[in-house]
Amino acid sequence: MSDPQPHGRRVLERSEPDPSQANDVYVGATAIIATVAAIGFAITLRAGAPIGLYSGLLALSLFSLGLAVRRYFFDRFPEVVAAEPREPLDDRAADVVVEGDDEESVVAPLPRRSFLTRTLLGAFAAVGAGLLSLVPSLGPPVGDTLRRTPWARGVRAVTNDGEPVRPEDIPVGGISSVWPADNIGFERASVVVIRLADPPEAPTNMSWVVDDTLVAYSKICTHAGCPVALYREQDESLFCPCHQSTFDVPHACRPTFGPAARALPQLPLGVDDEGYLIALGDFEDLAGPSFG
Amino acid sequence: MTPLFSALLDALDNRMRLRGPSTKAANKVFPANWSFLLGEVSLISFAVLVASGIFLTLFFTPAVDPVTYEGSNEFFRGVELPAAFESVVRLSTDVPGGLLMRRIHRAASHLFIASIVLHMLRILLTGAFRRPREINYHIGIVLLTLALGEGFLGYSLPYDSLAGTGIRVMYSIILSIPFVGESVAFWVFGGEFPGEAIVSRFHALHIFALPLLISAVVGMHLFILVRQKHTQMPRPDVDGHRYVVGKPLWPGQAAESTTLVLWVGGLLAASAWLIPWSDVELLGPYIPGEVGNNAQPDWFLFWTDGLLRAIPAFEVNILGTTFNSLFVAGALIPGVLFGLLFAYPFIERKVYGLEGDWHVLTNPLDIPLRAAMVMGTFSFVLLASANATNDIISRMTGIPIEDLVFIFRVTMVLGPPLLAFLVYRYARRRLDSAGGEVARTEEEAGSRFAYVGLGDPEDQDEVEGAGVEEA
Repeated sequence: MSDPQPHGRRVLERSEPDPSQANDVYVGATAIIATVAAIGFAITLRAGAPIGLYSGLLALSLFSLGLAVRRYFFDRFPEVVAAEPREPLDDRAADVVVEGDDEESVVAPLPRRSFLTRTLLGAFAAVGAGLLSLVPSLGPPVGDTLRRTPWARGVRAVTNDGEPVRPEDIPVGGISSVWPADNIGFERASVVVIRLADPPEAPTNMSWVVDDTLVAYSKICTHAGCPVALYREQDESLFCPCHQSTFDVPHACRPTFGPAARALPQLPLGVDDEGYLIALGDFEDLAGPSFG
Repeated sequence: MTPLFSALLDALDNRMRLRGPSTKAANKVFPANWSFLLGEVSLISFAVLVASGIFLTLFFTPAVDPVTYEGSNEFFRGVELPAAFESVVRLSTDVPGGLLMRRIHRAASHLFIASIVLHMLRILLTGAFRRPREINYHIGIVLLTLALGEGFLGYSLPYDSLAGTGIRVMYSIILSIPFVGESVAFWVFGGEFPGEAIVSRFHALHIFALPLLISAVVGMHLFILVRQKHTQMPRPDVDGHRYVVGKPLWPGQAAESTTLVLWVGGLLAASAWLIPWSDVELLGPYIPGEVGNNAQPDWFLFWTDGLLRAIPAFEVNILGTTFNSLFVAGALIPGVLFGLLFAYPFIERKVYGLEGDWHVLTNPLDIPLRAAMVMGTFSFVLLASANATNDIISRMTGIPIEDLVFIFRVTMVLGPPLLAFLVYRYARRRLDSAGGEVARTEEEAGSRFAYVGLGDPEDQDEVEGAGVEEA
């Protein structure tokens, strides 16, 4: 009867590599070249080098890793050519079952030092990490973008329609959403102007208050960035509909309830020669949620 | 293997009983012949296309509204460009690594289609399409069609001057389909060319619909391949009808495939360094009514463009519709060619009265009809492709374009049949001198060689017995 070969396979040719010929230096060197070139690719790409340089390094890295893999397998495994029986596919042969024993591999590795395996896996990791150097290209550099808004000294506060606002447009208990002129829709610069019944108290910056009772605060919640859209007139507090953070407007919008930890930043508010509301500068504190 | 890793493997094995099936998979043999790797190159190219395509699509604006470019490309700074073209220029010039990804994507698309065509040529020439593999051959033709479509869509997306012109020609070809052309064109383009919808529609098809379809069909292609096992190159010591010979998946084929992945990647990266693939900013954006010299599609559609240039002018109004040369060149002849490719396995089986399953590959010259068919169709496609460059040939050689078109028309009509006939005659004589007819079964073909050192005596008797019976 047939040999007890796994799954009816038969080994036709088998050549064992000679351990004395094992070319560890070759595998090690090509793997290290691949590693160095992959790191070089990442560095030159990020440094803004010409495309010829970093694509050449990527090519070098991949080619020499290919050489390393080939040689590694060549040294570590016997080369085997096996014959595998075809299972009959048509209905005439429906009950023919090829008996197989799938518990054994046809080829088992030869004993070799594991150092090279680690070097090779390290080279693969380096190539993978090198390709990750493309990730920072997905967006522009952050810089101090998130610490600035278009509010600056002399910038008028305008409504959604672009109309400038006069202090007398806002009655007691009134609230108005405004934007910096020319930047309507710049989310982080969204501001609410509120007319309080009485002058606000500490720690409100009184030099940023118009007519003693007109204050302006960032409309973007310091917790998760929702617009703090609801104004409760009876206790003069702003309420965030997303996670219920509540800000006490007469006390510099400090948080009194909910998950927000920081007060809404106060916008330095003033009036220009023509009697329209303007900013006296950008927010001094961070507008919007904190970041890492 | 680290203890953690082997513990993880044990845990998975305890839940899914993977060890048996995976050992079986590891022992599966793969023929050790370079030509069997062409399909694998296509698969690797497809993976590269998906990976690089994901990167590109994060930057691409699928729209044609005018946008003012404000990046560091001096040529276009402050210029109003179609949004799609503007986003491509921005990606190439202002995003580190953006140009690399664009070039790799483009180079991989060329390699994808080229390796599919070569893979198909191997299948055709060696007869790997014969029963039971007709089904996978047909699926392969579907994949080629999808790949050509994907290539055309990708070529169109940057909305550079050539892309826009290519889309215009495609629109005209669709319009030329008798009876239904106008409606189909409006369905595809969402109205009249160029319209607002075309780039966003092509984008959706290019990044979503077709890749999804290709992935699914590739899955079928591979499943059937594994199920039916590989074909076998003739080998004197092996009965290829009953056995397939090669390297086991682990470690032989795994080493081969890993190397191939890395070297294909290396080749693409090196080509991105050496060849300015698709630097569309040199062409400028598409502006309706304008086109530069050398208006050619990508090479893989040269043959259709060559046909458009070669088919003489005619326009017939009958049956309340119009038949014109554009329809013949752009739709009818390509349709006939693909139909012929599709039907060929059936034709060969019918003509030679073939029976049973075929697993051993043949020399194409052993089958005169096959040699003639491949020679005829491929020489026709190559001549048509060459005709797509007739303007360049004319400029380089000084032969007037009118004469060149005439020469090409004559060679395209006479050349392929003549070549096919010569190859047929040669193969026929070769067969006659060997004293043979085309074998009707694989046993008869003598390509299932007698057992030498393989299998057990019982099997051997069976093989010989079967051979005698069939003969």
